[in-house]
Amino acid sequence: MAAHGNARPAAGAVADTTPDHRRTGPEVALVTGAAQGLGRVTALRLAAEGFAVAVNDIAADERLTGLATEIGGLAVPADISAASAAPAIVRAVADALGPVDVLVANAAAMAMSPFLDADMDQWWHQIDVNLTGHFRLIQAVLPGMRAAGHGRIVIITSGWGVIGHPNATAYAASKAGLIALAKGLGRELGPQGILTNAIAPSFIDTEQLRVDADDAGITLEEMRQRYRDEIPVRHLATPEDIAGAVAFLAGPGGSAMVGQILQPNGGVTRTRA
Amino acid sequence: MTDPVAVITGAASGIGAACAERFRHDGWRIAAIDLHDSDADLAVTADVRDRAAVTAAVDEAAARFGRIDLAVTAAGYYEEGIDVADIGHDQWDRMLAVILGGTVNTFAAVLPHMLARGEGSIVAISSELALAGSATDLHYVAAKGAVLGLVKSLALEVARTAIRVNAVAPGPTDTPLLAPGSPAREPEYLATLPLGRLVRPDEIASAVYYLATEGSMYCGEVLSPNAGAVI
Repeated sequence: MAAHGNARPAAGAVADTTPDHRRTGPEVALVTGAAQGLGRVTALRLAAEGFAVAVNDIAADERLTGLATEIGGLAVPADISAASAAPAIVRAVADALGPVDVLVANAAAMAMSPFLDADMDQWWHQIDVNLTGHFRLIQAVLPGMRAAGHGRIVIITSGWGVIGHPNATAYAASKAGLIALAKGLGRELGPQGILTNAIAPSFIDTEQLRVDADDAGITLEEMRQRYRDEIPVRHLATPEDIAGAVAFLAGPGGSAMVGQILQPNGGVTRTRA
Repeated sequence: MTDPVAVITGAASGIGAACAERFRHDGWRIAAIDLHDSDADLAVTADVRDRAAVTAAVDEAAARFGRIDLAVTAAGYYEEGIDVADIGHDQWDRMLAVILGGTVNTFAAVLPHMLARGEGSIVAISSELALAGSATDLHYVAAKGAVLGLVKSLALEVARTAIRVNAVAPGPTDTPLLAPGSPAREPEYLATLPLGRLVRPDEIASAVYYLATEGSMYCGEVLSPNAGAVI
């Protein structure tokens, strides 16, 4: 059914905020936690979309350097929970590829235990990597994004940050902190053309499932089935599913998305984050 | 031909028209349902309140094109600046019948075709107003909010199939639905939005396109490209 009223606004009533492409060369993306799983597939997807991609992980091993070679990008290994890491990473990326246009905050630490058994080291490690590490990285990329007048920050949070999970309280708290970070930055940086959003996956079919299975003392396939039973659509997300959400938020189609939390988790979370 | 097929209600203008343009650009065939004539591969002139007419239009699309991959329910209208006590029974009934009833009618018409194929995607156009509430357009907001409940419930009902049901809740969008004198067009209001501008219809179409093409893990999701109107 069509709208009432026929008046159309004058052309140009809506500003075009698409990035300024006068700068030569591709846009630059930085992906943390990119040695494996979701981070790796996201780096591959963004490279396929035409981004120059820098990949970070904690260890300078063949997985990271091989990926960088594969996509013609740059490996910037560092522990992002270290205070000195973020400026050094961003400087290295700027020198080799240019200022960061898109930051994908994906690196994460997780430890599961009953709340009363969790020691403070576990608590702070998860907060330091997941929340504070990305806080520092965002601070480090912002001057470049402000100078460019545009930028996209895509934060990988978690369905558990939306609805919580038993025995994962520190992880869930760190991920909920990232949701608040995405919303606050969405409001604060949106007027500067820098769009911050987050993605809240739940169960993804990555190498982590093998770790989970070993922890639970069951086979990988039994682990997959246990997780499937918790998902309304009854199948695990692939890393490609989540990388697609990153590509949407980082690409031209995501230009009106700001402060939003995408939840491609098969219906595990169906509440508004 | 095997190009995918989208049924789009409200396809003659605004967000519906932007969706039709986007999907057609990417090789889809479009079956349009609107009170007015649409630019589409199959344009049916019908009122979405009329379930028989909607069903007939959808069945015709399925017969002609052989498949229905996507339904987008964008048919609607907007009235604002009305205190709740001044919303007449007829106004209330009509708003609910068009926005909620039209969405239900379209869901009911496309679902048998999707169930027969075992896959499909349904994207309902709701509104950011349904997420945060709004004064002086309560009947519109109530109808758009009801659409969200409908979407989440149908999403769960068909979750074990490859049919996905989700919603897009646009922010204030630059379409004919926003009258030239609407408060949403005033600079004072736009300045309250983090992006400082109205959303473009093509930005809504991009969100719908993303859900339709890469959204297999969304189940009852509400995507809100809203320029920061609701965070």
